[in-house]
Amino acid sequence: MPSVIYAPAYRRYSFGDEHPFSPVRTDMVLDLLGALGHRVDTVEPEPATREDLLDVHQNAYVCRVEKLSAGALVPDGQEYGLGTQDTPSFPGMDEAARWLVGGTLHGARLISEGRETRVLQLGGGLHHARRSVASGFCIYNDLAIAINFLTRNGLKVAYLDIDVHHCDGVQEILNEDPRVLTVSLHESGKYLFPGTGEIRELGAGAGRGLKLNLPLEPFTEGASYLEVLEQVIPAALRHFRPDVLVVQAGADAHFDDPLSDLMLTTRDYEAIFRRILAWADDFTASRVLFTLGGGYSFRAAPRVWAILYLVLHDLHVARDLPESWRSKWSHTSENELPQTFHDPNPSHADIPNRYEIAHRNRQVAERLLDLARQYWFQK
Amino acid sequence: MLIRDIMRSPAIAISAETTLQDAYRTMRERGIRHLPVVEGEKLVGVVTDRDLRLATSALVPSPFSPDSRVSAVMSSAPLTADASDPVEDAARTMRELKIGCLPVLDDGRLIGIVTGLDLLDALMRLTGVHKPSGRLEVRLPDHPGELARLTSFVSHRDLNIHSILTYPEGPDSVRTVLRIGSIETGLLAEDLRRAGFDVLWPPEKPCPR
Repeated sequence: MPSVIYAPAYRRYSFGDEHPFSPVRTDMVLDLLGALGHRVDTVEPEPATREDLLDVHQNAYVCRVEKLSAGALVPDGQEYGLGTQDTPSFPGMDEAARWLVGGTLHGARLISEGRETRVLQLGGGLHHARRSVASGFCIYNDLAIAINFLTRNGLKVAYLDIDVHHCDGVQEILNEDPRVLTVSLHESGKYLFPGTGEIRELGAGAGRGLKLNLPLEPFTEGASYLEVLEQVIPAALRHFRPDVLVVQAGADAHFDDPLSDLMLTTRDYEAIFRRILAWADDFTASRVLFTLGGGYSFRAAPRVWAILYLVLHDLHVARDLPESWRSKWSHTSENELPQTFHDPNPSHADIPNRYEIAHRNRQVAERLLDLARQYWFQK
Repeated sequence: MLIRDIMRSPAIAISAETTLQDAYRTMRERGIRHLPVVEGEKLVGVVTDRDLRLATSALVPSPFSPDSRVSAVMSSAPLTADASDPVEDAARTMRELKIGCLPVLDDGRLIGIVTGLDLLDALMRLTGVHKPSGRLEVRLPDHPGELARLTSFVSHRDLNIHSILTYPEGPDSVRTVLRIGSIETGLLAEDLRRAGFDVLWPPEKPCPR
């Protein structure tokens, strides 16, 4: 049985009712699974300690988060990305963020102690947080902290990031680490926040060739996404031979997401999750830790993450969404919540230059592998 | 952005008495292609790797020998720049006259050099991504106050603009590309559209909303 990590305290990581990064999304996931008759047993973690944070964050930064968290004024907060429009400060933010870090860290612990193979952390995935800068809704980088925990315990980590945004924080922190492979698929930074994640950013020092970025064209659809995923991931895993996968499963590459421009459907997500689990079986003796991430459509993200739960537990994805659930959460969206679990087919209007987009993505994947292989086979 | 912000200083220079051989070696060792030529502190010319290669080529009827002086093959009285010139002036001069560098003078004294590569660096700084940001592209009517209307819209939402580029598009419009320090440019674009702006990026997705 996979372990699902969650604490009600995760709800405190909230930037206000109008902010896209809403804890309501996770409530909707849990409520949907319950309405479908699944009993979700969750493991409650401890919040991360200050010490845990200092593994990747600078003391000066943590101090400022703590001060803002306690309601004090921090005149230079903006220099640290704090109190911005994207990442506003709020009372209790330090502890709320430490809860999310604690959850991801707990998942890493379960795996490194051999107590669990498949773990789903129902939160976290705060991949934009830098060593001393908050960015893109992310305060503390739970992923980098958990990955460091795994490598310290002798495990080689392959990190896969399917959030629509580049994992700039994770990459910055682990850029020179030879024990960590990172692979990020995202909408190209030429267009989308944070602007980085080009194929030439291959890592530095001993980590050179192990930080892979696959920037995708706006309006990329599932078929192309799955094709390049298949081109890159198995090749990278065969080369790197990881002991564990860590997956940031952002749901914002869905076509209904308001912040970005990729066009995945729930069926594409189901296929992606199944492939990832198969790779975990093939390469890491099934050891895989999933976190959530971005995903700002109330119509889409809860369904995507419920599908992740169901696939992880080898459960069937029902055809219809329960009426009780739809009416309970109808207030979250201007448009009606969908009636079916999966998106209808076709789910959106045709993309006119679909073949050109797929062609460009294929070429970017090839160029990425060409560049990376120069380092893989260099002795 | 001024020449002083992008120039290489001090410039590596040689004297007019230097042989072609030695000038060539200096270029090879330093990885450069342009050498100002000075007499004392006074600039008297510029010699490029192309000058050296053409002067000594077996293809010319009477090639110079490797121990000839650079004064024989250099461009005399070269065009120069002032440290306070804007970079676009240097770009225009170099493009129009098809030359690869401008020595920078102060009171007739050589203080630096700007090459085509430095201008490319400047272009990268002007257009590049140096902070986490999202891209916004808007077509504006070519009237006074339009850009101010756009930037004040952004500032009212308390968002930081990291870079802004604007260029003429047609007779009546300009294209403005901004990098905004926010992950929420999609939502900003929607609001701008509602306020009547012609937003070209991010686009509206072809799906039911």
